[in-house]
Amino acid sequence: MSVPSIVEWINQTSLSVAIREGGLPYPVIGGLHLLSIALFGGMLLATDLRLLGWVMQGRRVSDVMVQLRPWKWLGFVVVVVSGFLLMWAEPVRLYQSPSFWLKMALFALVGVHAVVFRPGVYRDPERLDSGITGQAKLAAVLSLLLWAGLVAAGRFIAFDASFDQ
Amino acid sequence: MLNHFLHWLVNSPWSHAINKAEWIFPVIQSFHFIGFALLIGTIAIVDLRLLGFGMRRQEPSELAADLQRYTYLGVALMLITGLLMFSTDAVTYHNNPAFQFKMTCFTVALVYQFTIHRWAVRAGSGAIWAKLAGAISLLLWTGVIFGGRMIAFV
Repeated sequence: MSVPSIVEWINQTSLSVAIREGGLPYPVIGGLHLLSIALFGGMLLATDLRLLGWVMQGRRVSDVMVQLRPWKWLGFVVVVVSGFLLMWAEPVRLYQSPSFWLKMALFALVGVHAVVFRPGVYRDPERLDSGITGQAKLAAVLSLLLWAGLVAAGRFIAFDASFDQ
Repeated sequence: MLNHFLHWLVNSPWSHAINKAEWIFPVIQSFHFIGFALLIGTIAIVDLRLLGFGMRRQEPSELAADLQRYTYLGVALMLITGLLMFSTDAVTYHNNPAFQFKMTCFTVALVYQFTIHRWAVRAGSGAIWAKLAGAISLLLWTGVIFGGRMIAFV
């Protein structure tokens, strides 16, 4: 099965048609995507900026990371699920969008980031309470850059078509 | 008077500059998104605390004081990038019902943030009205976001 035929198949599923042509569902899912960007992005910023020592310096690193973690995860799940639905609704347009593929490449790098830094940084933040390691600071900087890139790539998807002219 | 101002914005040098190259608008929008993540994210940490969730080992007032600088930074980023985007097509935005809804929610949310919300944070968590104060704040910012998304669809 070739990729274009998969794209065509997704495009014809009833879920795809329902979101694409249903009127309200598309902007509502888009709104949920934005809302979860605020939640996830906010938790990510608080966590990473704490690792850099720029915010909540008086609170223990583990206090910040452990207590915000469930909300960060909630935001992450909603942002991924709503993003998946938006993709499912418009597979043909996104397949042809360079910005979409850039966004997916950055998303893959987020996975690599997690594999690389989870053991030493995110898994048990109590170890960072006595001092934030260079590795933790590097993880924070890379995480902020990756997610800022994801936001920008996502925004550019809407403008791809206008660059062709 | 207002119409005059809107046209002045549309014809401003920055409006022309943004309209000149296709990539500038999405870049500004990206900063707008990062701004609202900063603004709404930091407020949400305090709101969740008022509701009894999240950073429960700290008092709401401690969290608000910790995060205030970044909340302000978020407000500044949102206002600057928002005004720039508004300038490129001010009359259309002004007449857009979703934009009007968004700006109403935004104005109420901002006034609320610096009055009732501030008093609730100072009073601490636990009481039912502290929870109410946090819930209203989250609801107002949700209105801002959904209103913003709908601008392109109405």
